[in-house]
Amino acid sequence: MKKTAIITDSNAVILPDEAAQKGIFILPMPFMIDGKNYLENVDLTEEVFYQMMSENKSISTSQPAPGDVMALWDKVLEEYEELVHIPMSSGLSASCQSAAALAKDYNGRVQVVDNRRISVTQKSAVYDAIRLVKQGKSAKEIKDILEADGDNSSIYIMLDTLYYLKKGGRITPAAAAIGTILRLKPVLQIQGALLDAFAKARTINQAKTIMIGAVKSDMENRFGGISPDNCELCIAYTNNREAAMQFKAEVEEAIPGFEIKAVDPLSLVVSCHIGPGSLALTCCKKLRD
Amino acid sequence: MALKTIDAKMLSRMFLAGAKNLDSKKEWINELNVFPVPDGDTGTNMTMTIMSAAKEVAAVDTGNMAAICKAISSGSLRGARGNSGVILSQLFRGFTKSVADKKELNAADLCVALDKAVETAYKAVMKPKEGTILTVAKGAAAKAGELLEEGRTGLDDFIGEVLRHMEEVLAQTPELLPVLKQAGVVDSGGQGLVEVVRGAYEAFQGKEIDLTQAVTMSGGSASSKDHSSYQAQAEADIKFGYCTEFIIMLNKTFNIKMEMDFKAYLESIGDSIVVVADDDIVKVHVHTNDPGFAIQRALKYGALSNLKIDNMRLEHQEKLFKMSEQESEKPVEEPVMEKKDTAFIAVSIGEGLNEIFKELGVDYIIEGGQTMNPSTEDMLNAIDKVNADHVIILPNNKNIILAANQAKSMVEDKEIFVIPTTTVPQGITAVINYVPDLSVEENVSVMEEEIGRVKTGQVTYAVRDTSIDDKEIKQGDYMGIGDHGILSVGEDKDAVALQMVKEMMDDEAELISIYYGEDVPEAEAEAFGKEVGNLYPDCDIELQYGGQPIYYYVVSAE
Repeated sequence: MKKTAIITDSNAVILPDEAAQKGIFILPMPFMIDGKNYLENVDLTEEVFYQMMSENKSISTSQPAPGDVMALWDKVLEEYEELVHIPMSSGLSASCQSAAALAKDYNGRVQVVDNRRISVTQKSAVYDAIRLVKQGKSAKEIKDILEADGDNSSIYIMLDTLYYLKKGGRITPAAAAIGTILRLKPVLQIQGALLDAFAKARTINQAKTIMIGAVKSDMENRFGGISPDNCELCIAYTNNREAAMQFKAEVEEAIPGFEIKAVDPLSLVVSCHIGPGSLALTCCKKLRD
Repeated sequence: MALKTIDAKMLSRMFLAGAKNLDSKKEWINELNVFPVPDGDTGTNMTMTIMSAAKEVAAVDTGNMAAICKAISSGSLRGARGNSGVILSQLFRGFTKSVADKKELNAADLCVALDKAVETAYKAVMKPKEGTILTVAKGAAAKAGELLEEGRTGLDDFIGEVLRHMEEVLAQTPELLPVLKQAGVVDSGGQGLVEVVRGAYEAFQGKEIDLTQAVTMSGGSASSKDHSSYQAQAEADIKFGYCTEFIIMLNKTFNIKMEMDFKAYLESIGDSIVVVADDDIVKVHVHTNDPGFAIQRALKYGALSNLKIDNMRLEHQEKLFKMSEQESEKPVEEPVMEKKDTAFIAVSIGEGLNEIFKELGVDYIIEGGQTMNPSTEDMLNAIDKVNADHVIILPNNKNIILAANQAKSMVEDKEIFVIPTTTVPQGITAVINYVPDLSVEENVSVMEEEIGRVKTGQVTYAVRDTSIDDKEIKQGDYMGIGDHGILSVGEDKDAVALQMVKEMMDDEAELISIYYGEDVPEAEAEAFGKEVGNLYPDCDIELQYGGQPIYYYVVSAE
């Protein structure tokens, strides 16, 4: 029997091929679109999702059904002694609390990590978890390490429009107060909990400058200095890969010495709230061994 | 007269008479504005400033020097409006500092007080400019010093000489400030100060002045006026009925002696006299009941051009009627505001612009702008209303920053930050760049940096003929005014606006915002926005209804 398995949900934006190759188990997030149920990356692709969004269909998300969670765990535990479950941020969804409650019936074999991460930063935590497994750490140890490291990450997102954010309602009052008369490009931040307002820009270029400045300041003041030895930068986007690739080149020019580690789509749960056309710059402090 | 001192009663009388005299000249001083924009209001601003003090002076015991000084100082500081108003209030503050504990003032005391006044006023202005009210005040202090040294301490002679010297300095202001010379005017703030001293001097000489009228007529911003009091004011104010203006094209040299003679003649037939001589021309302005005499006399020096004679009694009635209508719109009482760490106050006018500021998180809007400069007291009231430890003020006009800074220096229980925004688009950019997560100091520094990237242009119309920045401007022309001068002039509004935008643009600009005024129909504004968009396809165009009066378009490039 193998020792420790890693499970995450589809918010970590690890596609099925990569998951199979790295031995990661993925719990798909459920969506309800015009009354019909879908599972992210199972029967709902990015392309179809944005198509339906542009058709203004009613889209809602929910946490995975407890039955599905337990079914996946049970299957995995047939092969593994224990597992680490890394769900999306407890600040954005009740998935984490539900999973933690279910885990109580598994006699410590299931460790649910509450590290308040989402999308790109969640993915980075999953990779850390794989390395920790290889180092022989137990599920409980991995949970503790990841939770302690949870806040060493930040995400800045420039929105193309405030429409979806206002519609979804999953934002702080500060973010909700951003005006809509002027066509502002709001820059939001995710520091663990909710999507929160960070700054407002009038043009895309200004928003990019703000995000680059914010990430530099975080590295300098929170993550131990602006150096590729300390931190990892990633870019994420919603349905605008070309713009994201251009942004990658701009960030690499603006912060010399860094290579953007990945350019990934944001998970559909996040997209659902912010809509298409957004760009995100994220920073994770590297986990010291 | 050999009077050697001024007692408290006399000081009070002189101050009120100075205020009254300024009030009666305010419309005329407004006309001395360099830019021929429809809202030059130095006279109004200075009058409202001094009237706020006059009200307090009228209410205190006329025998108590300290109480009168305090009334002059605090009343004018609170009522200060516009740059000239703020400087005037600082002059009064400085003047009263050294005399408050005196029973009577002799020439030596006046000398010290004038020095103190000048020192205080220069300190209040970040970059003091010569050729302004400051220069005239400095001239007064210098002359007073000379007279004292010469032992000319009889006050009739002393004050009279100081006043004459101030007039001479004032006449020289066009030589110090090229914009004045080009526009053919003397400095309006300096003129205002001369009028105050003239009124005071007349009171000192024993001229009968109805002081009660001065105070009740134009009591600052209080809206207690009714139409009938305006009418009374109109009749009292206009002694000479025809505003007469022309330019003499000189056929011989116009020396200082001739200038003095000519002025003396005009004084014998009217008042509100301006005579500004250039090498080739003399610009003349006089209020008189006999315009023909002024013209006849001027013909001795050369041919005349640009003659303009208005019957002020008729025009004044209309203006007063309009003013009383505006005054009747009283501000609405605001409920107590929610407690915040940092609150924003912005000066803005126009429904659309106010709405934009509010939506961006501005807590309190002071109605005003170029057309109506809010006073220091308006600022203090706003600061009092917002419920926050830190208050950020966006004056959004060059002529309001000083009043905001003055308010800042008078508040103790809140920390005030004045962002020196000179235009509405700068104010909008400042508030957009506010980040609640950062400290107020960090925010202020970011905002100050960001407003530097905003270029603004505003389209309005000219109220008189003039020439500025080598551009000939005719009354009724449209003008595009940029941050540092006139960018375009012409008879076609859209062409002027478009030319203005072209002058403003540089390679860095990526956003052009257009706020159209209350007099521009939506369809016209949209067509203009499209034209700008076609011209600059790489820029984002933001077209918004601003609803501001007088300015057809306020445009920013950033």
